[in-house]
Amino acid sequence: MSEDRVTELDRMRYTKNTTSSRLALLAIVFDVLFFISLYKSDVGTYYYTILIGASIIYNLVFLLATFLCSEGVKNYQTSYSWAMIALGIGQIIRIFIIPLSAHQATYNNAPVMGDAQFIRMVIYLVASAACLFAGAVINVNKSRALSAHLASLQG
Amino acid sequence: MAELQLQHLDKIYDNNVQAVYDFNLDVKDGELIVLVGPSGCGKSTTLRMVAGLEDISNGNLLLDGRDITQAPAKDRDMAMVFQNYALYGHMTIYENMAFSLTLRKENPNVIHKKVLAAAEILDLTAQLNKKPSQLSGGQRQRVAMGRAIVRNPKVFLFDEPLSNLDAKLRSSTRREILLLHKRLNATILYVTHDQTEALTLANRIVCMSMGHVQQIGTPLELYDSPNNTFVATFIGLPPMNMLKVRFEDRKAKGAGFEVPLSEEECALLAPWARKEVILGVRPEYIAEGGDLLLRVSTNENLGMNTLVHGKLGDDTRLTAKFRSWANYKNGDIVPVHFTRKLFFDPETTQAIRKEGK
Repeated sequence: MSEDRVTELDRMRYTKNTTSSRLALLAIVFDVLFFISLYKSDVGTYYYTILIGASIIYNLVFLLATFLCSEGVKNYQTSYSWAMIALGIGQIIRIFIIPLSAHQATYNNAPVMGDAQFIRMVIYLVASAACLFAGAVINVNKSRALSAHLASLQG
Repeated sequence: MAELQLQHLDKIYDNNVQAVYDFNLDVKDGELIVLVGPSGCGKSTTLRMVAGLEDISNGNLLLDGRDITQAPAKDRDMAMVFQNYALYGHMTIYENMAFSLTLRKENPNVIHKKVLAAAEILDLTAQLNKKPSQLSGGQRQRVAMGRAIVRNPKVFLFDEPLSNLDAKLRSSTRREILLLHKRLNATILYVTHDQTEALTLANRIVCMSMGHVQQIGTPLELYDSPNNTFVATFIGLPPMNMLKVRFEDRKAKGAGFEVPLSEEECALLAPWARKEVILGVRPEYIAEGGDLLLRVSTNENLGMNTLVHGKLGDDTRLTAKFRSWANYKNGDIVPVHFTRKLFFDPETTQAIRKEGK
């Protein structure tokens, strides 16, 4: 291993994993953008009111959980990476609930959600999920490397 | 190499108050200079002028021959350590120490090596992940020093760095500064009002009063041959006894006491025949036994020494420091003699000494 790489690993003993943490925060930003866009499709039917209500509740949970993850991965804690992956999968699943079902549904012979809005919302959710996956993978890699480095220092 | 020259520095504030008058000093490479004096004497102002935190009203400041009088603080290649540490509470010790280099966008690996090296020198390696609030005062001051060390500046400036520490911590941190100076061989300008710090740390001391430099010299020079009554009384603990006497008949005659003088002392005082002079005697220059009678008022045992306060003759206060454990009581009469005497002109307050000394 090169000297620079060893120094880089050693630096992790005293610096935080800001990359993963910032990616988690960026996932929150994309989620907020998704949610702002969602209200345009509120057409007043019972079905969508229920879905949007559930989405609001899930969103609150998502915001809190992702923020906790962003703090957790700062300290190279691997368990938060798994939580981030789970939250990322959740974002992908959400694509098939609101944007897709709204895109396929019609109201007064008009689509509930137009193509442009649907594509934008899918992009937000995919971006949010991508940030979470990337942050989680980076954190897992970094924490494994740090653990190995600490073990080599002790041994 | 870092040689600092302060040439005729003046500091005049906007309200025309002058804090520093004609300050001249050549600081050699690797020298530890201590500016000492009472509060308000201009020592911190001088340091702040050197740091670039105060404008220089008149005069020039040269670093390695380069005129930096008008240079902004960031371009002076100096690091300052403050009395109140000035650490960022939300950052870890590592981040605090690395902060200035991070701002300069240095390579993170280089920063890491510098921080670890500084932490090693200051014995802070185990504290690097802690926040300043988790450290003691002495450790925080070491972090402040570490922050200065990582910058590898040409000159270190210390502004009363030990004033916030308790006596025990002050002593140990003082020792660390001394070791640090030896290890780094750095040029240091150090401000303090504590003469013990000045005497123990300095290669040379600059003693200041009312904005004027009173004397520049090694600690021993200031202690042994003070230029004037101010330096004589400021340096040394307890301060030097200043006795008003009249030089007559080969004796220094005070109110109700007479001190016999040697041939050499008589020759020195010849121009002051039958005139008043000030006789300066350090408490440690007074020994038990002799013709002078000290009427004891209080007795302080300090372990190795005893401080005896009392009166000589009619009403001249005198403090003696005996190198033994003594238990004198109020009213006891102790015969004493002076092992060394200094003389000062009462009009100019300047020391009376042989020419060339």
